Amino acid sequence: MTELLWLFLIPFILSLVAFALPSSNRTVVLLSLIPLALLIFNHNNWHNAIVDVVWIPALGIHFHLAVDSLSLVFLYLTAIIIPISLTAVGDISNSQSFYGLVFLLQGLLIGFFTARDLALFTVFWESMLLPLYFIINMWGKPDRQYASLKFLIYMIAGSALMVAAVLFLYVASSGTFNIDTLKQSASQSPLAIWTFAIFMLAFTVKTPLFPFHGWLPDAYYQAPVAGTILLSAILSKAGIYGIARIGLGLFPDLMIQWSPLFLTLAIIGVFYGAFAAWSQNDYKRLIAYSSFSHVNFILIGLFVWSQTAQAGAILQALNHGITIAALFLAAGWLEERLGFTSMNNIGGLAKFMPHLCWVTLLFVLSSVALPGTNSFVGELMILFGLFGQNPWLAALLGLTVVFSVVYMLRFMQKTYFEAPTFFQERWVDLNGKEMAIALVLIALIIGIGVYPTPVLNEIMTTTLAKD
Amino acid sequence: MSSYLSFIDIAALAPLLILLFGALVILLMESFSEDFTKVWAVSLTLVTISLATFAAYEAPVSTNELLTPWLRFDPLSRFFTLFFLVIGFAVTLLSYSFFKTFEASHGEYFFLLLSALFGLILIGASADFLTLFLGLETLSISLYILCGYMKQWEVSHEAAIKYFLIGALAASFLIYGIALIYGAVGSTSFDGLLKGYQALSTSSNQALFYSGIALVTLGLAFKAAIVPFHQWAPDVYDGAPTPVTAFMAVGTKVGAFAAFVRIFFDALPHFDPIWNQSVTLLVYPTLIYANLVALRQTQLRRFFAYSGISHAGFLLIPLIAATPDALMAINFYLIVYAAATLGCFAVLAFLDHNKEGVMISDLSGLYQQSPFLSAVLTLCILTLAGIPPTAGFFAKFFLFKTAFQAKEYALVIAALLITVVGAFYYLRIIAIMFSQLPAKEKPPLLSWPAATVGLLSCAAIVYLSINPTPFITMIDVARR
Repeated sequence: MTELLWLFLIPFILSLVAFALPSSNRTVVLLSLIPLALLIFNHNNWHNAIVDVVWIPALGIHFHLAVDSLSLVFLYLTAIIIPISLTAVGDISNSQSFYGLVFLLQGLLIGFFTARDLALFTVFWESMLLPLYFIINMWGKPDRQYASLKFLIYMIAGSALMVAAVLFLYVASSGTFNIDTLKQSASQSPLAIWTFAIFMLAFTVKTPLFPFHGWLPDAYYQAPVAGTILLSAILSKAGIYGIARIGLGLFPDLMIQWSPLFLTLAIIGVFYGAFAAWSQNDYKRLIAYSSFSHVNFILIGLFVWSQTAQAGAILQALNHGITIAALFLAAGWLEERLGFTSMNNIGGLAKFMPHLCWVTLLFVLSSVALPGTNSFVGELMILFGLFGQNPWLAALLGLTVVFSVVYMLRFMQKTYFEAPTFFQERWVDLNGKEMAIALVLIALIIGIGVYPTPVLNEIMTTTLAKD
Repeated sequence: MSSYLSFIDIAALAPLLILLFGALVILLMESFSEDFTKVWAVSLTLVTISLATFAAYEAPVSTNELLTPWLRFDPLSRFFTLFFLVIGFAVTLLSYSFFKTFEASHGEYFFLLLSALFGLILIGASADFLTLFLGLETLSISLYILCGYMKQWEVSHEAAIKYFLIGALAASFLIYGIALIYGAVGSTSFDGLLKGYQALSTSSNQALFYSGIALVTLGLAFKAAIVPFHQWAPDVYDGAPTPVTAFMAVGTKVGAFAAFVRIFFDALPHFDPIWNQSVTLLVYPTLIYANLVALRQTQLRRFFAYSGISHAGFLLIPLIAATPDALMAINFYLIVYAAATLGCFAVLAFLDHNKEGVMISDLSGLYQQSPFLSAVLTLCILTLAGIPPTAGFFAKFFLFKTAFQAKEYALVIAALLITVVGAFYYLRIIAIMFSQLPAKEKPPLLSWPAATVGLLSCAAIVYLSINPTPFITMIDVARR
């Protein structure tokens, strides 16, 4: 179908344009809305949209893209987050290259979320690292060189053997890379357990699941605001999508069999992230760890073999993408005004920047899953699904919701409330453009929180487990 | 049996004859007027290579029995001929930009370069061990001289002597191996070699044959710089002038694998699994050693020596797998490797200011100085590292696929794990390039020939990354 091909190609065309011509931030943000507009206008026709042509016959690789409900959720997430991250780009050198790289990333992500040929899937999976590497490396904070190389090496090491796993499935299935066809043969192959482990390693490093998060604090912290948004809101979701598509899709039996191990790791990750966030004195790092904690929460939902939990996890992947982008964006606005990200010397900023304070507070509430916000629905579904399997674990996990309130409110308390201690000549509160972006995000947060049914209907069809 | 060469036979030989003629003309010119050659040698070389390329592209197939026992006129030899000529063209351009910075006479240089090309083409088209040996020696002797071409450089003296001694040793292994094979089967021709081997009845004859093959493999392993026969490569690459290093990194490497392909795919397909198993034992040390040592390099010519050794290790994998796709995989990998390496050397040509060559630290801040150069180098390095979506990834994917079909799982896993190390040292170069350390005093030179090579390499890589199919189909013809 041509619409799907266009959806894939438009970001690449935009990328070339952005690299070649100098353009203002406003123009670029407007251009980046094209894929979103295409998604919305063609909304009813996306299901079963398919592009399938032989690409490299000698290797048996097809250029095979297809959209289903699972893909669609992540496509919307990508299309929403990219413009938001672009609005966070301030006055930087070489902005042309920056915009070009973001569009390149978008194209690769769209390819990744729709690829149905395992080899193609791997190509997109690996290549999406490069734009992010350059974004961190060229526009990050002072330690960016170290952070970006560490990020890249972690990722490449994590998925080093993925090519072997892909080829193994190819040989075991007598010669196809088609993911839908591989469903029948993947679990039966003699080395299925190893192939499964290789794929899971790759996905869990990128998400990241505890204990594969070594790259995360540095990369999130050193990246420019837009880069952090892309990393936390979309890149981690690529890992989640991988687990849903390949882990649950090709190896459901192994997924059930190994779920105790994965569940344990994810639960440790939730707690670890929460405690780490609690002990930070830097708000960007605090939000980075909170993101790590919440992503592990989502993984719990995927690892519990229950329809509610899995649907909750996919929904929460979307929610977390929106919320974490909002939080990092708000943190970026604050950083822009303060010039640093430490929480040691600041306090009572609400007095000077009331709008920024309230907007941040709303985002924080969404992050701690207050009823009425988007995260509440998702986390509740995950907890509900877990409760059906193991009430004690669900009770334990319920505790972390409290923790997230504690560290998030600590952040609000230290920076915005308390007595004003930090003084600056002139404070600039949110301007009209920033307010408009914040309102869009708030509308999404509350919209999904109050009326999640349309999204849930879409997601429910994708889950494998049947209660 | 005809006793004379017809026009068709001459036309089939034309690429070789044109190169020879061009080389001799340049040598004559040099002996009459040095100033004249200084101006015209490059253009003449480029014209010679272009004509030879055209001749190779249009070359008819000769069936004359005076030629066929010595030379193959099959699609594979045509592929190699064209491939070598393109490499020669690129290296000539790089040499041109080199001579803009460094003072040296031109005539002999281009004569030797064309002779080396002549040797390479002989290897790719050989139908007999003797032609193969002749090609290898023509190539090597030219390269010994080219290596020490900058007479003022002490580092070159050592490199040239070292290369000559080790090269002579390798040649003696090779010729001794050929002698043993001749002793066993009574012929040096590739046709009928397999039959001759299968007809060997006595175990002493078989032992003779195996020893011969082992020595030939060893000799070629020297040329391809495969661990543990690689010691010469880093020093020689380091000591040679940069364009000569480029020629060795690409031309000699491709030549050595062309020889491997000729002997083990063309003459002796699947002759004995023992050979494949023995070569497997070379792959592991090659991959591990080269990649680990490359981590600590500071000089880029030396760095590319280790990078080249590591790629030779990868190229052995399809040679071992020997599936029907293996030849295509080797050829595709060689092309991608050649394009990426030439692109890297094109960038080095801009930065080459002194005989010590370009250090990795010289690259720091390159992005600030020249986004164009850093973009070219980035693309080529990513291709060498095999990171998708560059063609380097597909080339590796192709290798691994053939290995999987031959059930060489351990090889694939070792090779994949070592690519992580590879990714680290290749990407370190990129990281240094994009760092914002103070720029060097000397800005990059301006050089259109090197820029052309860089741009063409990049164009080739981008094209092969997006749409490799037509090209793969083209080299697939080489098999039929």
